[in-house]
Amino acid sequence: MVFQRSQIEEAANHIRAAWKPNPRVGIVLGSGLGSSVESMDVEVEFEYGDLPHFPRSTAIGHRGRLLAGELAGLPVIAMQGRFHLYEGYTPQQVAFPVRVMRGLGADLLIVCNAAGGLHSTYAAGDIMVIDNHINMMFQNPLIGINDDRLGPRFPDMSSPYDPALIQQAMGIACEHDFTCHRGVYIGMLGPNYETRAEYRFLRRFGGHVVGMSTVTEVLAAVHAGMRVLGLSMIANVATPDNLVATSGAEVVAVADRAANKVATIIHGIISQFGAELQERAGH
Amino acid sequence: MLDLYDKIETAAAKIRESFPTPLHAGIILGTGLGGLADQIDVKASFNYEEIPNFPESTALSHRGRLVCGTLEDLPVVAMEGRFHQYEGYSLQQITLPVRVMKALGAELLIVSQAVGGMNPYYDSGDVMIIDDHINMMGDNPLVGVNDDRLGPRFPDMCAPYDAKLIEKGLEIARQQNFAAHKGVVVAVTGPNLETRAEYRFLRAIGADVVGMSTVPEVIVAVHCGMRVFGVSVITDMCLPDALEPADVEKIIAIAGAAEPKLRALVTGVLAYEAAKPR
Repeated sequence: MVFQRSQIEEAANHIRAAWKPNPRVGIVLGSGLGSSVESMDVEVEFEYGDLPHFPRSTAIGHRGRLLAGELAGLPVIAMQGRFHLYEGYTPQQVAFPVRVMRGLGADLLIVCNAAGGLHSTYAAGDIMVIDNHINMMFQNPLIGINDDRLGPRFPDMSSPYDPALIQQAMGIACEHDFTCHRGVYIGMLGPNYETRAEYRFLRRFGGHVVGMSTVTEVLAAVHAGMRVLGLSMIANVATPDNLVATSGAEVVAVADRAANKVATIIHGIISQFGAELQERAGH
Repeated sequence: MLDLYDKIETAAAKIRESFPTPLHAGIILGTGLGGLADQIDVKASFNYEEIPNFPESTALSHRGRLVCGTLEDLPVVAMEGRFHQYEGYSLQQITLPVRVMKALGAELLIVSQAVGGMNPYYDSGDVMIIDDHINMMGDNPLVGVNDDRLGPRFPDMCAPYDAKLIEKGLEIARQQNFAAHKGVVVAVTGPNLETRAEYRFLRAIGADVVGMSTVPEVIVAVHCGMRVFGVSVITDMCLPDALEPADVEKIIAIAGAAEPKLRALVTGVLAYEAAKPR
């Protein structure tokens, strides 16, 4: 893993050459949620293919570019389209952009996804703030020799998702009058959707939603010492006792409709973070 | 994954040379269950090493032969011996034969396996028609760039096993007066058998039987749009509170003794398929 640090530096330098500000926040947008950063004042756009060591995004509903600019008054960097294990990337590759965001100075990561609801009170289009996750991907981006400059060998996972950010996000949803749950995200390898038996298992073992991303990036972010906020957009609700087929296109369609809720939370969180930073600077 | 298409075509072309009839079904015979192949009116057969891109079978009691012919008047191929994750093959390699069956025209996959029974109401020697599965192999044969010519990026798995054929299987068992359950199989990598703690866990997550195969093949069959009929033959009971050491010779003997039931199910399902109006 030691060689990876030079790759992080190379990618970060490439971005710095075109865009000077130090981003305070990194954002990873999920399936169909690309429009959640429409209010961002984009200064520079990078195609993943142009960035050194970046894999290319092959998933549907993912656009494959890195946006650098200002959102709610803070310099931010946002991934429109992410990498997934099911695409055949290694977990190190999947987590690489998060490492680069950290390398550029981001200390807050907002990570979004489209997920399948397991909890019977969830509805398609609802938002869930991720309180915790279960890694059922059988993979981990931290496997290998640990580079102590990037983070500790055994990162603590007692609260990977920042409790204060969870509260803030719930508050923002409340203020804007839309349903927002707080629950557990289960990360699966995919790419097939789950069987009824698998849904029942995941539900019984404490999952509220299930998806094929996020956990890998969050593990790297926690390892790198970032504060994390995770947002799941419920694309559909699994009803294993009366299961109907799920399609990728349907997931993307629901995500399109719910993207504004995600946008509202992202905007609110960054505004509050900006205010915190100003307050800290003022003291 | 994009070179997979060519690999499938090359393998299919080799089989077509000797057996050009478009297939109705592909059959995979599991541990100790190879006997069914004797019932096929054989038109051609291949050792796996004769088929381009096929791995070689290394597992015990698996012969490593693809038999082409007719069964219940339907053109079929049957794999005597399959590939397993525990042999060190990738799930893409393991499932290549299913893709080749599809390329040869098969619209139905019949898959069988020897499993350990965890549901205490099951008995050694019983058969279970697979209703659903849980993938605990930690891997998936569809990982990689998706080739849309082969199937969709995110295949749905709400009913991987054909509901009509499940009912048909249960009906055949009733008519022939043997016990057939309907249940959930969980697939693990192996090759070690499970610890008592692992059996308790697998039972708790909702599985009735546990095996080291089948699920990858079924995922791929669903990906490429095939209907699936799956049968598990319970070759030993894995009850964690009364666990006995597994005896592979005994497992194979029980599989052999239960093989006529599998034969009845497979031929019965194919007879039903043959009688269906097209």
